[in-house]
Amino acid sequence: MAAPGQGEDSDDAMDEFMEKFKKEKYKNAFNESNWEEEFEKVPMFMKTAPESIDPEKHPDLACIQSIIHDDDRTPEEQARGLKDEGNEYFKEKNYKKAVVSYTEGLKKSCMDLELNAILYTNRAAAHFHLGNMRSALNDATAAKKIKPDHIKAIIRGAQCSMELRNYAGVLQWCDEGLKLLPTDKKLQELRATADKLKREADKDARKAKVKAKKERNEKEALLAAIKERGIKLLKTKLSRHRGSDSEDDDGDGGASRGLADLELDGIGPQEATGARVYMDEQGVLHWPVLFLYPEHSQTDFISAFCENSSLMDHLVVMFGEELPPWDTERKYQPQKLQLFFEDPEKGHLYQVDLEKSLLNVLQHQRCFVKAGSPSFIVLVSGSPFSKQFLSGKKVQRSK
Amino acid sequence: MLSDGEAEELLSFLTLEMRADVKGRASEYVLGLTGNRDGCRYLQSKPDFLKALVTLTCDPSIAIVKDCFHALINLSADETLHQPLIKETDILAKLLPKLLDPEYVFADRICTILSNLSRHERTCKEVFRALQEQNIGLDRVVEIFCTEGFNKKASLHYLGPLLSNLTQLPEARHFILDKDRCVIQRLLPYTQYEQSTTRRGGVVGTLRNCCFDYAHHEWLLSDAVDILPFLLLPLAGPEELSEEENEGLPVDLQYLPEDKKREEDPDIRKMLLETLILLTATKVGRQIMKNKNVYPIMREFHNWEKDPHVISACEKLVQVLIGDEPEEGMENLMEVEIPKDVEEKLKELDAKEQEQMEKDKQESEKKPNESPEGLER
Repeated sequence: MAAPGQGEDSDDAMDEFMEKFKKEKYKNAFNESNWEEEFEKVPMFMKTAPESIDPEKHPDLACIQSIIHDDDRTPEEQARGLKDEGNEYFKEKNYKKAVVSYTEGLKKSCMDLELNAILYTNRAAAHFHLGNMRSALNDATAAKKIKPDHIKAIIRGAQCSMELRNYAGVLQWCDEGLKLLPTDKKLQELRATADKLKREADKDARKAKVKAKKERNEKEALLAAIKERGIKLLKTKLSRHRGSDSEDDDGDGGASRGLADLELDGIGPQEATGARVYMDEQGVLHWPVLFLYPEHSQTDFISAFCENSSLMDHLVVMFGEELPPWDTERKYQPQKLQLFFEDPEKGHLYQVDLEKSLLNVLQHQRCFVKAGSPSFIVLVSGSPFSKQFLSGKKVQRSK
Repeated sequence: MLSDGEAEELLSFLTLEMRADVKGRASEYVLGLTGNRDGCRYLQSKPDFLKALVTLTCDPSIAIVKDCFHALINLSADETLHQPLIKETDILAKLLPKLLDPEYVFADRICTILSNLSRHERTCKEVFRALQEQNIGLDRVVEIFCTEGFNKKASLHYLGPLLSNLTQLPEARHFILDKDRCVIQRLLPYTQYEQSTTRRGGVVGTLRNCCFDYAHHEWLLSDAVDILPFLLLPLAGPEELSEEENEGLPVDLQYLPEDKKREEDPDIRKMLLETLILLTATKVGRQIMKNKNVYPIMREFHNWEKDPHVISACEKLVQVLIGDEPEEGMENLMEVEIPKDVEEKLKELDAKEQEQMEKDKQESEKKPNESPEGLER
C-alpha cells in the first residue's frame, strides 16, 4: 500500500488537476491550420533534420545537439552519440553527413573495440552508397582488423571488392566470412557470383590472346609474302628511329619487331587511307594504290589492286567510260597516259610499262612502297604540263 | 621372431623415460620389423608395442619420432593391423589434434597414417567417429586442405586420399554435398592442382564417390556447384577447336591456350571419366551434359589417349552422349533392372574385352629393348 499521507495528498492534487481540464480551456494548443508545421518543429516528431540548427528557431534541437557534442562526457559516450547521429543521417540517405559523423566518432579513439568496428563498418556502408568503393573497402578492412568476426564488415568488404571487379578478393572475403557463418546465404551468393564472373573474365582474356595471336600470324605471313616477292617497303625516318629503340611489349622478340615494322611501314590497321595490303585465300596480294595527277593537283585511289592485274587494266576502267570532271581538256585518255614512280632516295622518275602486272612493277630495283601504298604519277604524253614537269628531272623511260 | 623374454626387454626400452641411445636403437629395431609382412603380423599380437610406438611420437628426439611415425605408417598400411591400432592404442585421440596444429612438423605423416586407416570401411567408420569426437568436423579438414600454406612444414596432400576414403561413408558424403554450405565447391579447383598427384587423385576420388548419390546430380551440374568444367579441364587439351565449337562449350573450356596439358596420371584420367559416366545416370544429367556440348572435348581426348583401359571408359561415355534416350521406365540407368540373360551376355562381353585389353597391353610391352646390351634402361 502506498504511504498514507503522501498518497492521499497526491491523489487529491491529481483530482484537482483533472478538474481543471473540465473547466479551463486548454491554451497553447496546436492550431488546426498550422498544426503540421508546428509538429515539424518538435524534435521528437521531426521527419528530417534541418540543414543547420539555429538555436533561435529550434531551441530543443539545439539543446539535444549540444548534449551529443558535450565534451564533458566520456569518449565512449561521445563516440556512441556520434554513431547514432551518423545512423540518423544514414537513414535519411544523407550519406555525406553520415560519413562526417562516423569520422568524428572514430576520432574520439575510444577504447570500445566493438563500437569502433561498428563505426568503421557503418562508414564503409555510407561510402559504398556514395560510390566511394576504395574508401569503403579500406573502412571494411579496418573494421575487420579490429574485430575479425564482425560479419557485417566482411560482407561489406566482399561487396566492395565485387564493385571493384576484384573477384579473387571477393572469394577471399567470402571464404573468411563462411568460416564464421558457413550457412550464410548472402556470402554464398556473393561467392558464387564472383566465381562465375572471374571465370568469364579468364575466358575473355584467353579469347583475346587467341585473337591477337591469329592477327600476329596473319601479319607475319603478309610480311613474309611481301619480302618473298622482293618488294621493298620504305621505312620512314621516324620508323627507323623507333625500330631501334622500341621495346617489345608482348615480349616475343622477333615477332613483335616485325609487327612494329609493319605498323610503321603503313601496313598496320591504322592507315590514313583506311585500306591496307592483304593476302587473299589463294595467296595473292592486293594493294591500295594511289594515283597522283600533279597537273590538276588531284589524287585517285584504288583500295584493292590485285598484283596480277596490269596498270592498263585499271586505267581503262578509271578513264574508260567517263573522264574525270577535273579533266577540263578531256585529254586524260588511257592510251595517252604515262605513269611514273619516283625513287625516293635519288629523286629519279621511272616510267612504268602499263602492260606489266603491278607485281612486276613493284619488283623494280628502284621501286619502294611508301606508307604501305604504291603511288604513281600520271601525266598525259606530250602535253605541255608533262614537258614542264619532267624537265630538269632524271627520267628513265620504259622500253 | 623374438622370444617372449627378448620382447619384454625390447618393450622396456621403448619408454619416454629411457636413455636416448637405447630408446633410439630400440625404435630403429621395431621399425625394421615393420618393414616386412611377417614383422607386421608379429606386432599385430603385441598391442603393447603398438602403444609404445604411439607414445614415443611425443619423444623430444626427432630421430626417434621419425622412426616411430615411419613404423606406424608401415603398420597402418597392413589391413590386419587396423583393429589393433584403433582398439588397443589411443592413436586417433593422440594424433588427430596435432593435425590441426599449423606448426606441427609431422602433420604429413599423420595424414598418411589416417589415409591408410580409412581405406577400408570398418576402420574408416572409426576414423570418422573419432573426428567427430575430437570436434574436428569435416569442414575443418576441408578448410585446412584448401588453405594454401596452412602448415609451413607440411604439404598436407594426403588429406586428399583421406577425404576420398571418408566419402565411402554416406555420412561423410552427406556433409560434403551439403547444399547449405560451401564445401564441395572449395574442392573443385584442385582437380587441376599440378604440384601433387596425391592431392589431385584424392579430390577426384572424392568427387567420384559423391557422384554415386544420383539425387544430387542436378544440383552438382547446376550453377550452384558447376562440377562439369572441373571434371573436363584435366581431360581437355591444347588442340584448336573452331570458333563455333568453342562458343558452345562451358566457359572454362573455351579458347584453351596451346600449352594446355592433360592429366598425366592414367588412373586419375580413368576416375574422371568414371565420374562423368556416373553423372549421365539420370535423364536430367544426360540432358545437361548433351546441352553443354562436351563431345568435341571427348573427341580430341579419344584421339590422344593411349591407355586401353582409359580409352574404354571414354568410349562408354561417348556412347551415352551421342546415343538415343533409353525407353520409358529405364531413364535412370542406375535403377534399371537388367534381365538375367542380358546380364550374362554383358558379363561375357566384359570378360572378352578384358582379355583383349590384356593382350593389347602385352603386345605393347613386348617391343624390343632398344638400349644397348648390358645397359639397364
